[in-house]
Amino acid sequence: MPRSAATIRRVETALAAASRFALVTLVALGAFAALLTAAGKDPLKAYVDTVLYVFGNAYGFSELLVRMIPLLLTAVAVALPSRMGLINVGGEGQLYMGAWLATAGALGFSDQPAVVLLPVLTVLGFVGGGLWALIAGLLRALRLVNETISTLLLNYVAPMIVGFFIFGPWRSPESASYPQSPAFVDAARLPGFLHTRVNAGLVYALVCLVLYRLLMTRTRWGLEMQAIGGNPEAARQLGIPLFRYILAVMFAAGGVAGIAGMVEVTAIQGRLVSELSPGYGFIGFLVSWLARGGAGGIVVMSFLFAVISSIGDILQITQGLPFAVVDILMAVVLFIVLGRRPAGRAR
Amino acid sequence: MSAALIAGVVASSIASGTSLLYATLGEIVGERAGIVNLGLEGILLVGAATGFAVTAQTGDPEVGLAAAALAGAAVNLIFAYLVVGRRANQLATGLCLMFFGSGLSALIGRPFVGTLITGLPRLHLPGLGAGAAARLASYDILVYLAAPTAVLIWWLLFRTRWGLVVRAVGENPAVAYAAGRRPASAQYQALALAGLLGGIAGAHLSLALTLTWAEGMTAGRGFIAIALVIFARWNPLWAMAGALLFGGAEALQLQLQAAGADVSPFLMNMIPYLLTFLVLILWGWNRQSAAPAALGRTWFGVE
Amino acid sequence: MARIPVLLAAWAALGLFAAGPAAAQDKPALTVGAIYVGSVNDYGYNRAMKDGLEEMKKAIPGLTLIAAENVPETAESERIMEGMIQQGARLIFATSFGHQQFAFNLAKTHPDVVFEHAGGWMQAANFGNFFGATQTAWYPMGVAAGKMTRSNTLGFVVGVPIGYAIGNVNAFEMGARSVNPQATTRVVVTGGWADKAKEAAAANALIDQGADVVTMHVDSPATIIQVVEQRQAYSIGFQSIEARQLAPNGWLTGLGFTWGPFMTATARSVIAGTFKPAMVRLGLGQGMMAVAPFGKAVPADVRELVTAAADRVAKGFNPFTGPVTDNTGAIRIKDGESWGGADMGKFDWYVDGVIGKAK
Repeated sequence: MPRSAATIRRVETALAAASRFALVTLVALGAFAALLTAAGKDPLKAYVDTVLYVFGNAYGFSELLVRMIPLLLTAVAVALPSRMGLINVGGEGQLYMGAWLATAGALGFSDQPAVVLLPVLTVLGFVGGGLWALIAGLLRALRLVNETISTLLLNYVAPMIVGFFIFGPWRSPESASYPQSPAFVDAARLPGFLHTRVNAGLVYALVCLVLYRLLMTRTRWGLEMQAIGGNPEAARQLGIPLFRYILAVMFAAGGVAGIAGMVEVTAIQGRLVSELSPGYGFIGFLVSWLARGGAGGIVVMSFLFAVISSIGDILQITQGLPFAVVDILMAVVLFIVLGRRPAGRAR
Repeated sequence: MSAALIAGVVASSIASGTSLLYATLGEIVGERAGIVNLGLEGILLVGAATGFAVTAQTGDPEVGLAAAALAGAAVNLIFAYLVVGRRANQLATGLCLMFFGSGLSALIGRPFVGTLITGLPRLHLPGLGAGAAARLASYDILVYLAAPTAVLIWWLLFRTRWGLVVRAVGENPAVAYAAGRRPASAQYQALALAGLLGGIAGAHLSLALTLTWAEGMTAGRGFIAIALVIFARWNPLWAMAGALLFGGAEALQLQLQAAGADVSPFLMNMIPYLLTFLVLILWGWNRQSAAPAALGRTWFGVE
Repeated sequence: MARIPVLLAAWAALGLFAAGPAAAQDKPALTVGAIYVGSVNDYGYNRAMKDGLEEMKKAIPGLTLIAAENVPETAESERIMEGMIQQGARLIFATSFGHQQFAFNLAKTHPDVVFEHAGGWMQAANFGNFFGATQTAWYPMGVAAGKMTRSNTLGFVVGVPIGYAIGNVNAFEMGARSVNPQATTRVVVTGGWADKAKEAAAANALIDQGADVVTMHVDSPATIIQVVEQRQAYSIGFQSIEARQLAPNGWLTGLGFTWGPFMTATARSVIAGTFKPAMVRLGLGQGMMAVAPFGKAVPADVRELVTAAADRVAKGFNPFTGPVTDNTGAIRIKDGESWGGADMGKFDWYVDGVIGKAK
């Protein structure tokens, strides 16, 4: 097949997907507008304000990117194991543990220069989240506990560990002992670009996405992972080491989510606090699922969810609605997508 | 360990475990039919907000409770339509439902935040005097009905034809279909019942325990219930023990504080989860899967 | 293939269409933005803030107030405040402790906007700090509790055991001890400022352990007071004096913040261009705090005692004057020393008579 024909085919498929999603979004926006009107609010003003804020405004746009960063990472954390048929709903917990280990490093090595400290913290973030996911991976590889339930349960234990530390050993002595860790030194802060909060985390996210795509499409490992995902028994009989793959993939996935945690504490918060994530792990799951695990789709879906979040901000400021209401919009978008695929597909 | 402390812990565990029990029972019914609902948290929130809003409007907590149950069932039927009618992925739909319930409850509850309501009335059993012991005999109706409800659900699932069909569908929908049953219908009914129980669970929090509504007030109880289902091996009677255990952990650390003991709330709160893990590992070791087989296909992925 | 240009054109049109109406705006005397950490219907912290802001709004004609509730103490708050600035706000009240860093970040990038933060310590040319001096104000509350208790056990629910909260408990116990040497205070920590289910369980636990007067330092006293009322014990409120509506029988008294005068003065100074940043800590008698009306259960002689104690505090009485021992017997404030307002955040020990661990 001539290369140009294949390319055209790919562009067509992408466009078809894009327009499908545009349609879905429009329908969802319409349904949400009906809901807002029923609640006595002005949906058109809300949407217009959002567009202005997000696209007509440097701050709004930069905040959009800031919102996307953790979503990109947690989505990869779900997508990677999903290629093998593993279900990782533990993004929240892995994020917290990555933040936790990174904080240990930031507090422990605070006298190091940024050039040394930041890479160390990145590695620690990766390892923290990775080890946390590895627990679930190990239990799964040993055929003891299914990873869906174990990653879900671990989501609850991780914030408790963080809470224990910020109320106890890492309690900040200076700030009137409000429960949080001491502020990180400047060397431990991930820098932003051009006075915005868009930070190097964006670079991490893009690197992870690229690596993920390359892994799946260009390496033998990716092929073997997909073989396992398609038919584990056959894969085992072909000699593919399932056990090692489960461990490695869960570790890597948790690690990516852990980096999201590290970015959160080093770039945005500047310390370890008890509220790190408004559900990034779960939204990442939904992003990955909507994108069917594809790297490009993850970018698009993260963007979509970030825009939806911005609508929430506007609703709160200009219309006096609780931010949580925007979850309805997000859910409606997903309901429509979920409802459009009848007749049991395993995905 | 004074008598007051023990009585206080037991009383607190029962109070706080009640909503967990209702939620767990609902999830058991749904999972027995082969559907896992990760969005249980959303159902609880909708139940809490609706119950509170309707009670605030009508002044009648029983009406509020009924509204909460119906609201929970209605929202769960949306979920049912998607996963049963449209064969959507259960995990994704469930998470989606969680967000939906979170937003919807915030919208419903917002005009009523801070309203003072009369909660569900307490019934006092006579004869236990004052103090902590008296608390053991002074609960709202939902607490007294909790254990009987668990028995009722057990009976429903294991001693009635309806329950048999539901369980058959959960084990193997194709065989159930071949035997002349309609799996989809059974699943819808199971999920409606699950929604009713979930709505009641949420209402207990707002109408009895705290007499308030605040966004997100269920604080993860829905997910705890999902863990409890596994802990209870999908059996309503064991769910009672599990609900007491999880309710107890939170109660214990607060009572210990009041009694002057030094205990880290975080470590104490971890215990129920660690116990669940332990139980899961032990059962996995024994290779006994008590889970309904068809639940496995969606929930367990590659197995 | 033609869909892309169509979509782009649609977005562009939408943008142009919206730009029109957005440009025309009225100019008020001052636009003030405020963010609340919770709901203003909480009979507590947020309600008191709202009451103060409403007072300010009434006092200054032409003042526009933009407010957002349930703003979490995370990076999200920065976005909300920035949004308000873009809507024209030139004075921002960040009303909860956890908003401090984020408000401070914005103060750096918006030197023409004034920020007032409640409860922190940071300062800049356009960033000031304010709070009530609560600790000494708790002393007369303790007097009320000490006189009204029959079991000699008082209960205190604390959200987060920060130094200021511990100081509140200490002053409370000292006030109680001053009229009732047998009075002890039991403390239960819920771990958060607004966990309603835990608050209910904590109040129950305290009453189970014998407390017949319960008070609190959490964002909203509503849940605790309602639980205490249900169990027919006495309650003392905090944050907003409106909380007395919740307990018709058991209400003794309470402390509330009266932010109105300070907020009005600040807004005026911003309009006049004379704003000066400061760390403002005012207590009873200085306009920021007030004692709530007494409940019907409180007899006249107790009311006199409490009012007298409140007057003493307003005139400068400081209960944290040595010697003061902690609940392990060690002397923490030596004879002749006293801990002033600047030391209130340092408490990590409870006074003698308090049952609980501060660390």
